[in-house]
Amino acid sequence: MNRRNLFSSLVRASKRGGGELHSAPMVQAGLEPNTTPLTLDDVLHLYRRLGFAVSMPVALSHVGKQAGVLVDELLGPDDPGSPTPDIKFAQWLDPATQTLVDYTENPEGADLETRFAIEGWWSSNHRLLSNWWLNRMMGDATAIERITMFWMSHWATEFSFDETYMVPQMHYRQYRMLRSNRLGNFPRMALDVTVDNAMVFYLGGTYNEVGRPNENYGRELLELFTTGIGWYTEGDVQQAARVLTGWKTSRFNDQPAPKGIYNTWFDANKHDTGAKEFLGVTIAARTPDNNTEFQVLNEEVFELINIIHRIRPDAVARFIARKAYLYFVYSSPNDVDPKLLNELANEFKTSGFEIKPMLKKLFTSQHFFDPAIRGAQIKTPVEFVVGLQRQFGVAELDPQFWVLEMDQVMLDPPNVAGWPGYHAWISTNTYPRRREFARKLIDSMTDVRANVFIREFSKYEDVAAFVLGVTKFLLPVAVSPARLDFYKSALLEGQPDYTWAEKLLVPSASARAMRELLKAIAKAPDFQLC
Amino acid sequence: MKRRTFLSTTAAAAVGTQVLGGIPLKAFSPGDLGERVQADDDRILIVIQMFGGNDGLNTIVPVDDPEYYKIRPSIAVPKIKAVNVLSNVYMHPSLDSKAPYNLKRMFEDGRLAIINGIGYENPNLSHFRSTDIWLSGFNSSDPEKRLADGWLGRYWSNKINGFPEVLPPDPIAVQIGGSLSMLLRSPKGDTGIALTDPQKFFELGQGLSPDMDPMPEDTRFGHEFNFVRLVAEQSDRYSTVVKDAFDKGSNQVTYYANNFVKQMKLVARLISGGLKTKVYLVYMGGFDTHVQQQDENLNGLHPYLLEMLSTGIGTFMQDALIQGFADRVVGMTVSEFGRRPYENGSRGTDHGAASVQFVFGNGVRAGVYGEMPDLKNFDSNGDLRYQWDYRRVYADVLENWFGGSPEDTESVLEDRVLPLGVLQRSTSVDDSYAGRVQVDVRVAPNPMTDQTTLEWYQPVPGIVKVDIYGTEGRFLQNIYTDRVMPGTMRVPVRGLSSGSYICTVSVNGARTIVPLTVVR
Repeated sequence: MNRRNLFSSLVRASKRGGGELHSAPMVQAGLEPNTTPLTLDDVLHLYRRLGFAVSMPVALSHVGKQAGVLVDELLGPDDPGSPTPDIKFAQWLDPATQTLVDYTENPEGADLETRFAIEGWWSSNHRLLSNWWLNRMMGDATAIERITMFWMSHWATEFSFDETYMVPQMHYRQYRMLRSNRLGNFPRMALDVTVDNAMVFYLGGTYNEVGRPNENYGRELLELFTTGIGWYTEGDVQQAARVLTGWKTSRFNDQPAPKGIYNTWFDANKHDTGAKEFLGVTIAARTPDNNTEFQVLNEEVFELINIIHRIRPDAVARFIARKAYLYFVYSSPNDVDPKLLNELANEFKTSGFEIKPMLKKLFTSQHFFDPAIRGAQIKTPVEFVVGLQRQFGVAELDPQFWVLEMDQVMLDPPNVAGWPGYHAWISTNTYPRRREFARKLIDSMTDVRANVFIREFSKYEDVAAFVLGVTKFLLPVAVSPARLDFYKSALLEGQPDYTWAEKLLVPSASARAMRELLKAIAKAPDFQLC
Repeated sequence: MKRRTFLSTTAAAAVGTQVLGGIPLKAFSPGDLGERVQADDDRILIVIQMFGGNDGLNTIVPVDDPEYYKIRPSIAVPKIKAVNVLSNVYMHPSLDSKAPYNLKRMFEDGRLAIINGIGYENPNLSHFRSTDIWLSGFNSSDPEKRLADGWLGRYWSNKINGFPEVLPPDPIAVQIGGSLSMLLRSPKGDTGIALTDPQKFFELGQGLSPDMDPMPEDTRFGHEFNFVRLVAEQSDRYSTVVKDAFDKGSNQVTYYANNFVKQMKLVARLISGGLKTKVYLVYMGGFDTHVQQQDENLNGLHPYLLEMLSTGIGTFMQDALIQGFADRVVGMTVSEFGRRPYENGSRGTDHGAASVQFVFGNGVRAGVYGEMPDLKNFDSNGDLRYQWDYRRVYADVLENWFGGSPEDTESVLEDRVLPLGVLQRSTSVDDSYAGRVQVDVRVAPNPMTDQTTLEWYQPVPGIVKVDIYGTEGRFLQNIYTDRVMPGTMRVPVRGLSSGSYICTVSVNGARTIVPLTVVR
């Protein structure tokens, strides 16, 4: 192509009005339950959004079910138990004794060599933990890990920040805590996070002491975690900080750890016992004899969280419902139907801020299954990397590396607001890497695997039906007949239809053809959508 | 500009380095400029985003104010350690970084403007909201208003003919690393590309153009499809252009191995290689210094970041001077807010309001703008008050650097914002044809009580507008708009309450600024 042709080909289909924000027509269907038995397209859609995609045989096994039944299966048990990580992650092999030990030495103040050894060990553990979690997502038949990921992105903490690191053990504990809370009571989850070791360390709570308040967590609790901006004053932020004084982290073996290492504890001497006035509610002053961990936790910290929910119930409900909607349904911030959002927020509020009923209402609604929202979501790097492995049935040894290449470092969002998401995921920086990953993954499909994959489609011997089936499986919205022809031609390398039967007789030929088809589909813009 | 002109300009600027805070505004109005930088269309802006909220008080340090040491008992910079660059102006010693060329030396050479008290009305103390306010150029007090695009994205998407149907041969804006910033987004589509490594970008970007045409935009799916498709096209297309510039370009100085400094290195190399990009965005994080911002020896995260900032900018400038493109580049720092004046209990500082901004380059009118912060007169949250609306430098960039008009500024910022005058105004040949002339305005009486009169000789027919602004640069009211013929013009001004104002007379878009004081 010469330069001139190249320029004129760089043409967008339609203009968007200057100054106007994009706004697609609102989806008509609301939150009323979808009672039509699920089609294959419905099942694939549900797994793309609530899980991490799905293989063809599993998808076929769910066709005909009611949405409510499959959503219950995907949400999983309220408390799924705590997964135990690989022992190599949890402990360190002492080079001298060749025994596994906890590695809890404090690098601060240590000599440089020791410091680098410890930080290197954390980095390596961080990668191990990331891959361990990504592999759990790969193998998860439910949506447990996906919903946990949602909450880990909401209550964001970073692995690497300022000049320090989150000990991966602390992230692992935070992960377990959010995983068991993921469908539960939101205020309870907020309380657990507020006194969680990772958060108390990350947002400076451990430095927040009487007379020396540190507002960092108090502000984010309101702005990013519960009400959103605009529902509190700067004075409320300062008062919240006072309420939260006295909680300490335990990260190293040279620090006090009355509750055991990696658990927070309460230092009564550092708690501000004066009265606080928060969102117009008074939290009474306390005397030294009732300044205990139990009392302060319940009468101040939990009370603080309850005041937020009591005084600003609609703000919290809308903020969290909106976040779930953006994460699971459509990320464009200007395209959330306010009426639908109110309905979802109302469900959340009237249930006493229980998470499960809200999610269930959303995922079983006619709105969620409306064709108008399909294909509107950009796959996050984690969804892309995990989803493709599940769809193709091949595993990547170091998935966290690929996620990182696409600008999402596991357990390490850019800042306390989590990942910005939506269009931020696709740039000239990350798009080429997504393509590269897809290409490598497709090339790693063995002939055997490719032939198994082919035969997972019911009418695979009929070349047109087969190509249609693969596009439905991998792309979120039906493609045009012209594109189907284009993909068929990629599969058959330009040869006539009857050659498909010949290729099927030779595993290496059908596998090669199959890879060509997948690469052609992976090149399409909608391969990034779900 | 030729080499010789450039030398005389910098000499003049060096001599002209002075504290502007206490002297009349007239002293730095654009009209006073002796040297005029010729406009050309290869001018470049570098935006350095310092995310987290930079502590202005520990950047340009008020060592002569005893209050400073009272409110910062453990993290103040002692006077003896601060670097004195001008009468009462002291820098954090880290800004006199170990690099051969740095911000301190740039200030001495007349290549740095220090802007005290940059901020905005009703400051928002959220990192994210305030960053959006800074990048969008909209200061909306409505928290529900979603800010979706940036002032530079909006400006360039309107200036580039045919955008986005036809993309220009070179990317309009380049962001080093990360996901594309709001700054470079526009309602018409992204005006910038993001890249980390030109070689890798080239290797991976080849042949990425999708096989299919855009979809109709009327569905959500179609909209997102087209978004991805355009990025794919840009990846393919610009990967070659960027690689060509990278291969042709070079760096003529050694850059320190730090992420931010290396970003500046890459920018220098792309400019050196002839990339026709108008805007570069580089990023530094870590300024959210709630905890342990510096120890008693002035070591710690904040000094380190200042050291790298100074090293990155200084080394870039040195490279640009050697390679001869220094006249074409100016840069500015942006940070969402400053820190609270009082330190917190963790040897750190919480979120605050007004802070310090740096603007650098040969095209800068060097000096210090604004007074040192008043540490006894805080706003209702106990934060520093702002002296300049943060968009005043944006208006400078649009009008005095990129050659836009006041109308462009108003349309991009959806507000009338006055340039601060920190950048030397470019005069293009088109200006005389368009009758964009500055006039010599006399104000009598000034100070005024009830009424004063502006008087000037109008040399050409044209549209004249007279506006009143607050000293921080925000538009207050229009007092005269009309089409006039040549001759002596007299415009009365009345009805202002006591205070200081800036009065602007614009003739076909060329603006003359006069200060006005009202004493009642």
